[in-house]
Amino acid sequence: MKNTYKIFTLIASVLLVFSCSDLEEDRSGILSLDNLQSDGDLVAALTPVYKQLQVTYQGFRIRTNTFGSDDLTTWWGGNKAPLRVFDGFNYGNGENADINWLDYDWKGFWKLIYHANSLVEGLKTSTAPDASKAVIEGEARCLRAIAYLSLVKVYGNLPVILDGMTPTGDEERATVLENYQHIEADLLFAEANLPAPGATANVGRVSSSVAKTALADLYLTWAGWPVKDTSKNALAATKAKEVIDMGYHSLLPIDQLWLMENANSKESILSAQYSKDEGNTGNQMPAATSFHMARGWSDMYPELQFFKDFPEGARKDASFVTDIPNRGFSGGKIITKTPATIPWAESQRFHPMYAKWTTSEDITVGPRTIGFRPIEVYRYSEVLLIYAEAKAASGSMDASALEALNQVKRRAAGLDPNTPDPSVDVTTATVNDIVTEKGWELAGENKRWFDLIRTETLEDAISRRDPNEQVPLVRQPTKDQYITPLPAEAINTSKLVQNPQGFKVQ
Amino acid sequence: MKNLKVKLFLFTISIMCTVTLFAQTSVSGTVLDANGQPIPGATVLESNNQSNGTVTDFDGNFLISVPSDGELNVSFIGFQSQTVEVSGQTNLTISLEESVSALDEVVITGYGSQVKKSDLTGSIASIGSEDFESQPLIRVDQALQARAAGVAVTQTSGAPGAGYKIRIRGANSITGNNNPLYVVDGLVVGNINNINASDISSMEVLKDASATAIYGNRGANGVVLITTKSGSKGKAKIQVDSFFGTSQVVQNIPVMTPAEFAEGVNLRDATPGKPPTIDAARIAELRAGAGVNWQDYFFRTAPFSNIVVSASGGSEDIDYYISANTYKAKATVINQDFNRLNLRANINAQLNDNLKVGINNFVSRSENTGARVNLANGIAWDMNTPPRDENGEYNSIPLVSGVGNGSNMPLLVPENNSVENISDQLITSIYANYNITDNITLNISAGIEKIDFTNSNYQHGITGPNKAVVRDQQALRLQNTNRLTYKNDNPDHAFQADLVHEQQSFEMSFREATASNFFSNSTNFKELSLAGIQNTDSGISNEKLESFLARINYSLYDKYLFTASVRADGSSKFNKDNQWGTFPSGSIAWRISQEDFLKDHPSINSLKARASFGVTGSQAVSPFSTISIPGISAANNYPFTAGVPSIGVAPSTRMANPDLTWETTTQFNIGFDIGLWSSKVLLSVDYYSKKTEDILLNRVLPEFVGPTSITQNAGEVENKGFDISLSTVLYEKDDFSVNSNFNLSANKNKVVKLVDGVDSMVLGNVYYNSTFPVNPTRVEVGQPISTFRGYHFEGVYQTGATDGTPGHAKYRDLNGDNQITSEDIGNIGDGNPDFTWGWNLNFDYKDLNLNMVFEGAQGNEIYNFQRMKMMGLGSAQFHAVHADFLDSWTPDNPSNTIHAGTQAARDANQWLSSQFLEDGSYTSLRSASLTYDLKDVLNDFGIEQLKVFVNAENLFIITDYSGFDPVSTASGNSDVDLGIDFNAFPISRSFSVGFNLTF
Repeated sequence: MKNTYKIFTLIASVLLVFSCSDLEEDRSGILSLDNLQSDGDLVAALTPVYKQLQVTYQGFRIRTNTFGSDDLTTWWGGNKAPLRVFDGFNYGNGENADINWLDYDWKGFWKLIYHANSLVEGLKTSTAPDASKAVIEGEARCLRAIAYLSLVKVYGNLPVILDGMTPTGDEERATVLENYQHIEADLLFAEANLPAPGATANVGRVSSSVAKTALADLYLTWAGWPVKDTSKNALAATKAKEVIDMGYHSLLPIDQLWLMENANSKESILSAQYSKDEGNTGNQMPAATSFHMARGWSDMYPELQFFKDFPEGARKDASFVTDIPNRGFSGGKIITKTPATIPWAESQRFHPMYAKWTTSEDITVGPRTIGFRPIEVYRYSEVLLIYAEAKAASGSMDASALEALNQVKRRAAGLDPNTPDPSVDVTTATVNDIVTEKGWELAGENKRWFDLIRTETLEDAISRRDPNEQVPLVRQPTKDQYITPLPAEAINTSKLVQNPQGFKVQ
Repeated sequence: MKNLKVKLFLFTISIMCTVTLFAQTSVSGTVLDANGQPIPGATVLESNNQSNGTVTDFDGNFLISVPSDGELNVSFIGFQSQTVEVSGQTNLTISLEESVSALDEVVITGYGSQVKKSDLTGSIASIGSEDFESQPLIRVDQALQARAAGVAVTQTSGAPGAGYKIRIRGANSITGNNNPLYVVDGLVVGNINNINASDISSMEVLKDASATAIYGNRGANGVVLITTKSGSKGKAKIQVDSFFGTSQVVQNIPVMTPAEFAEGVNLRDATPGKPPTIDAARIAELRAGAGVNWQDYFFRTAPFSNIVVSASGGSEDIDYYISANTYKAKATVINQDFNRLNLRANINAQLNDNLKVGINNFVSRSENTGARVNLANGIAWDMNTPPRDENGEYNSIPLVSGVGNGSNMPLLVPENNSVENISDQLITSIYANYNITDNITLNISAGIEKIDFTNSNYQHGITGPNKAVVRDQQALRLQNTNRLTYKNDNPDHAFQADLVHEQQSFEMSFREATASNFFSNSTNFKELSLAGIQNTDSGISNEKLESFLARINYSLYDKYLFTASVRADGSSKFNKDNQWGTFPSGSIAWRISQEDFLKDHPSINSLKARASFGVTGSQAVSPFSTISIPGISAANNYPFTAGVPSIGVAPSTRMANPDLTWETTTQFNIGFDIGLWSSKVLLSVDYYSKKTEDILLNRVLPEFVGPTSITQNAGEVENKGFDISLSTVLYEKDDFSVNSNFNLSANKNKVVKLVDGVDSMVLGNVYYNSTFPVNPTRVEVGQPISTFRGYHFEGVYQTGATDGTPGHAKYRDLNGDNQITSEDIGNIGDGNPDFTWGWNLNFDYKDLNLNMVFEGAQGNEIYNFQRMKMMGLGSAQFHAVHADFLDSWTPDNPSNTIHAGTQAARDANQWLSSQFLEDGSYTSLRSASLTYDLKDVLNDFGIEQLKVFVNAENLFIITDYSGFDPVSTASGNSDVDLGIDFNAFPISRSFSVGFNLTF
């Protein structure tokens, strides 16, 4: 019995010595985001917001839902079925909500909004300097607004998810008007708190001109379909004019514009940055716009009618490739075959290609052409054209608005934009003229579709489609095709109501 | 106590009486097993006077006084009892055959407890080494396959050394871990991948709650107890076992000829007024024999070899078992090699009468090398382009660009990239067992498991931008178990009680280095400093568990058996308030055959009814699941100045849930065991019903919420089913015997509830995001966990159809809105079998043995995305290669199963549809071995035994499934994406020869 007692004592002491002192997780290896203290903390939390801009703009897929536009078509073959759905208007009553790539911008921009919301929320308890906090909040809200605006333009009204909310997934869609209102509030805050363009060395970060440009874009959109509040035209003009009057931005010579070395020039208002130092990811725009024979993916190229209508001149030369590179891939390198190029009409896809991204392409990295030039989100020429259109639409066309339009036209002709030239200058311009000019100026840049639906001219544009286009039209578009179906999986996992039933304007 | 003394007194008197009444002779002897090893502890009784008896000592010796014309009855657990006539002899050598009757087998029930099978109250499947020794095995889980009712063992991959998926009575949790708990010699281990099957002495699969509840915290998925061999006293035994052979994939998938492929390309790409993609001259060349069937390049006849050398034995106080094993195999898929090496030493020492200590030591290394060809893309690649041109240089891309699919020539990756995955595992456990009194035993054990993974791969510049990734991961598990056992020695009221305290900790850390822009490919991942860009990543996690367990076994008159246990577990994975879970269980068994009315029944020699009920838990979520973890990686960095990216810290992709707690499974089990005709027929039938609640669900959130997932305790899953096992001696006469062991498992899995107000959830998001815009499976209330989603394919519109384009696929309009929209996606099937079965058939004729293992599943469906891809569909696939494409619809070939091959018909086709759903039922001859025992032939050479054998694995698989085989799957270990075939590693058919040599 004595022995037994000893043993029990031994057990007890073993338990005491080796027992886990507590059952808590050691979380010392996990960084906490709850306390943003220094400027460094703020930038670290801001970085992922920009990252989502980069990710979402990385390829052509942000344009998937806008392939109905007359400046875009795709390959009649391969895996381009999702693009053909939109190019041929095979949607509008909920069908094809379950195709690939449809949700690309949906995912990318919602994630941007989440990152921005978390940052803005974190700033409320941050002990960082107030001046820094205001700028950072301005940046986060500016990008959040741009992301929201992009989504609302494509999908229509969306749930309102802003900082300070704890969404559960049961939220329902607001109205388009309500979405415009919180986008406007964000941009007004950003405009007031962001530094002037050129004020920081960080070329990729947003300035007050980005907020003003986005406001001009928002107001112009607000004035058109679907809300059609034409009083917003004047506001669009005001904001565009403020950007012009800053005097910071200017137009580059058109043959210089798309060069690698002219990235982040004064023409660029906002662009997504890509760096070789990130590895070899880059952006996919050169591959998306190149045919397979040029070591691309044949994703997007101009429709024939659009190309035919495009005025000849320096801008057309800078915008399109008409001699298609004939390349192969061997021994880990892209090689040029003989002949080195093939005229577009006999080429693999029987279309010209866009040159805006291939001008700066890098064909030394891997099996496909790739890009490291920043992707333009807003360029100064767009501001000039928004100004001209908003003035025309609000019935207050004047010399300054004509000058803005003419600067774009002069530059397109290879002339000095600031020197009047009667051979290209116009003395009158309708909204339609300006929208058409904008289509050419910003061809392929994810703008044309929104101009066509905003001004309700999509039907006209498509009625002129070249019958030789290979992708068949399933139907002539109507208003039913102005809004994209919401991604099927988003519908499956939430209480959102699919378009068109869930589409509520105001 | 008083009573006992009286009995002892009477017993002594009666012995004295017998001595005075009969002429006695003193008989000594030795009891040996079939291998000539002494059997200590065997009972030797006088047949006509059961009160006269003794037990053998450590050397198997006994001494007994019996009438000279009497008979002795010798018995020992696990052996057939034998009756020997004394016939005047004074020295007997009695050799006992191992028991055919499984009823006397000892079954290990966990935490040191050993119970005779006849005394079991819970549902436990027991497999001894003799059950699988005639099948050449590499892995432990192979030995379980087809041998235990209620245990579904699936070979999800044909890669050598790849793990099997094991589910015991269905999947309880949905997204949580459903793997059983593996306990090797009392120590919980992370995996059993490297353990050598020939080191196994026995395996017990604990199925019902009364058996598993003692492993409360992780018992819910069932427990596999593995006991490794130990030495037995006597002459040292040296054994060499070896086999070698070759493997091949079971079948290739039929493809078109290259010329037919080219015609298909032209049909699909047809553009009015434009030349065809592949010109007529080339098609003529293809017809003359140019072109490629890619499967010819991907598969090979692959050799493998395995050798095990072991030595075992023991002296009075010490026994030992040591073994070494090396296994080398090439895979049936090119450039995939696997090597495994392991060593084991098990040593036990009886230090004194009361104290025994021991150590089990296991170290192993396994290596997987070679970059694997992507079968999904590779098989569907351009058949017009040979891998090399006339100069022997690679054709890296199709001769005609844009043909086949978007990948590079499939051989570039396996022939140039480097992959090396190394896993080192160390398992060491020690114990001390101390008999404090005759009735009380203390057992203290401690163990360490260390697993290190080193995964290195290098992407060669010829395939794309060069890049190396090296990841080192280290895991350490520590376990300490302290057990106090009380056991009485009253046969009428056998009582045992155990108290256990246990603590475990698990730490994991990894470091990963990614390097790119190497200026040379020559050193691949072995010299990362040569890279222009170098990134690192790291992580660390930890978890702790503390548990208390009490268990009682009580047996009344050896007829009524009771077991009860309660276990309390605390886990660090949950926050303080939710940390502890309590898991009780109880079971009862009635040995009806011990009752008087059945005792001497001519045909029923055993009958037992069992019932059990209990609760087990699961904490199968990753550490840190209650909190949200910020995203820190290159995926959140951004180059503000177009140069070196800034470091970003993103909010968590998972929503925090501080309320997370135990998932619990309540199980009810009822069953009976019956033995007929001297146990020639043994039947066990169990019915069970399991309910899992507060399931640890990884729920997908819609994108606008921000975090894309949350782990919640929500929902309820039900598993109900039968396990039936039937072992019969079909024939036994003279030199010939036939034994059969059949088992059948039927499990019905149903989701009873999900998050409140939600009828269905998308949970298996492996394919969603990457391959499909809508996940091919979902979890829906009222359905099995994984339900296939898709359009209902209803054939092909024929010429003259007014409601659709002729040649286009026709789908069911579920909501009747006259449009095919995503609303028409419905449930089209599921990957759960109605039942699975295994059948082990053993023929013995003289020195020949034939062992066959059949295995099958019935009623499961497979989503054949491999075929979908080969039909030229799916993302990044441009053209068809599958032979079925030849039967595509044309006006002259009004196929109703395959739509037209044109681009328009392809665009109108839905990949997610019942067109690609197939019946996955199968019957296979998993293994067949013929063994010849050369027995005594070689005695003169000092060889005790030599057996030679030939074996075939997967000699046939009978199935309607059109893929490589119905077994391998892309779903791996997942239960939410069950039954998906896409880029799976096909299983193989193999032939081998081997021998077992004993000195």
